[in-house]
Amino acid sequence: MLKYSIKRLLQSLVTVFIVITLVFLLMRLLPEEGYFGDGYDKLTPEQRENILRKFGLLDPWYIQLRNFYSSLLKGDLGKSIIYRPDVPVIDIIKLKIPFSAAFGLAAICVSLFFGLTMGIHMARNKGRFWDKVWSSYVVFINAVPAAVYLLFIQLYITGLKFRGRSIFPMLFNRHDPRSWILPLISMSLGGIAGYALWMRRYMVDQLNQDYIRLARAKGMSDKQIMVKHVMRNAFVPMAQYLPASVLLTISGSIYIESLYSIPGMGGLLVDVIQRQDNVMVQALVLIYSTLGIWGLFLGDILMAIFDPRIRLEKREGAR
Amino acid sequence: MTEPILSVRDLVVKFSLRGQILTAIREASLDLYPAETVAIVGESGSGKSVFTKTWIGMLDANGWADSGSILFEGRDIAKFTTEREWLTIRGKKIAMVFQDPMTALNPLRTVGMQIQEALELHQGMRGEQAKARTIEILAEVGIDMPDVRYHQYPHEFSGGMRQRVVIAIAVACNPRILICDEPTTALDVTIQAQILELIRSLQKKMGVTLVYITHDLGVVANVADRVAVMYAGEIIEYGTVEEIFYDPRHPYTWALLSSLPQLGIKGQPLYSIAGTPPNLFTDIPGDAFAPRNPKALKLDFVKRPPFFQVSPTHYAKTWLLDPRAPKVEPPETIKALRAKHDERYAL
Repeated sequence: MLKYSIKRLLQSLVTVFIVITLVFLLMRLLPEEGYFGDGYDKLTPEQRENILRKFGLLDPWYIQLRNFYSSLLKGDLGKSIIYRPDVPVIDIIKLKIPFSAAFGLAAICVSLFFGLTMGIHMARNKGRFWDKVWSSYVVFINAVPAAVYLLFIQLYITGLKFRGRSIFPMLFNRHDPRSWILPLISMSLGGIAGYALWMRRYMVDQLNQDYIRLARAKGMSDKQIMVKHVMRNAFVPMAQYLPASVLLTISGSIYIESLYSIPGMGGLLVDVIQRQDNVMVQALVLIYSTLGIWGLFLGDILMAIFDPRIRLEKREGAR
Repeated sequence: MTEPILSVRDLVVKFSLRGQILTAIREASLDLYPAETVAIVGESGSGKSVFTKTWIGMLDANGWADSGSILFEGRDIAKFTTEREWLTIRGKKIAMVFQDPMTALNPLRTVGMQIQEALELHQGMRGEQAKARTIEILAEVGIDMPDVRYHQYPHEFSGGMRQRVVIAIAVACNPRILICDEPTTALDVTIQAQILELIRSLQKKMGVTLVYITHDLGVVANVADRVAVMYAGEIIEYGTVEEIFYDPRHPYTWALLSSLPQLGIKGQPLYSIAGTPPNLFTDIPGDAFAPRNPKALKLDFVKRPPFFQVSPTHYAKTWLLDPRAPKVEPPETIKALRAKHDERYAL
């Protein structure tokens, strides 16, 4: 187990290194306008050169790469140029991440709880009434564009009134707990459908396994078999993606955050790309890709904890 | 003879498949006596597995015991409907070992836990006591270093060892009847012999009644006291191993034995039974084997034969045993077997 973890850790480190380098090199291909901010047109060629020199962009690429790494190691992601001129990127996202992460984590908990419950319920009633009811929910969520039902939720549920006052406010206000509810529900709907679908699928797979038959022949009740054999086995393949989705909650939800005016990270990347804030783009791409890699790493470790076969050093088929 | 511990009478098992009704077991009857070994033989699809699965309520969801009875400890378990009723029998009183040990164990639970589960369920053991007993059982089924093996996972065991673990689970259940559904089919020949020997020695120790389901007549000759021959969902003949192998009476048993390669005559093509087993979706009048039996009587096609007694332990369902029936000679191979047998006993 330790050997496996160390191996995966080293692999991840190498991957992170490659990704960071690639991101940096790709950023050099972006148009240079992104470094000048507003008033680019009014600058003389000399002024432009001065600014580029200030950023160190006239150095050879390997010097730039070295400088980039040394500031990265100090935790310096650079300063925004256009989005909020001269403010360190860290300070900008520091204010936004808590909102996205809080909503994201809450949504994951809600989706896991309801999604897994729904999936288990579907698997246990496979082909019967409740399986069909929940399946139609899953199909609905997957087939209808999210924008449609999310907008409906905001429009109609905020319109509900109790004694003449609306129950749920239209916009997010961090001091009003009621305003947290609708965005949270909206964010969880997709997750619930996803977890339910996969949990059902994996459980049905498990139920057809020979060892479930043996467990029954052993005299275990359906309930004991569900708890001791089926549920855990079914959850293992899903555990792999859990850490990545937890870590990436900080990227927020573009659509829901803008619907309810939540000051989170959602849309920030798109925004800074449109406004050509090269330093911000670089920092965000870096953060997201690194988190993605660490998420996969943690997922693999989690899988190995659950599934002893993975700890084997030898490769036995694809799993 | 002593009282049977399980008594199946005229059991009919049906399945509903794509809107059609399939009759898998057609009035099969069988008695099991304490501490004996019975082999149920028959070709694939003859209903051997389904027949025994009915005893522990493990038919697929689309199957049910339609009529007949299964008497066990004074109760008719064919009438059981709820899971709670079955849990008083399944594993506890009647346990089962399945064919493929490679997939029979949960890959994500330690071998020890999977055995211990059965102990906790059926023998009321807990914690350290259950663990100690599990390690003991592992040793009993011939696994080295049981205290290390206890903590290992199924993928760390070979096929034969996994089958030992599956048997250990059955031992942990401490049942009165143990059904072995082709326990050695998936194993190679040397391991087969070891597993059969293991089952035999455990049977002696535990005094359990063993039921082997197999189509390997070599295994049958090795392990069984009695043999029941199954065809198209019916037990058509049963008797002691001697009686079935050396004095078979049903034309199907003749055909089955004649197709054994060991009994073939050198230089002659190996005998094989012509035709295919009957369609179980339709009603089968008369003797189910008649259409494949070149020497079938006219009556065989119309009326189902009852059991005729050959000896107090040997019964066969064929009109040939009726005193009014014409004399039909068994095939040469069977006659040769009988002669060999008589010769040996004359000595």
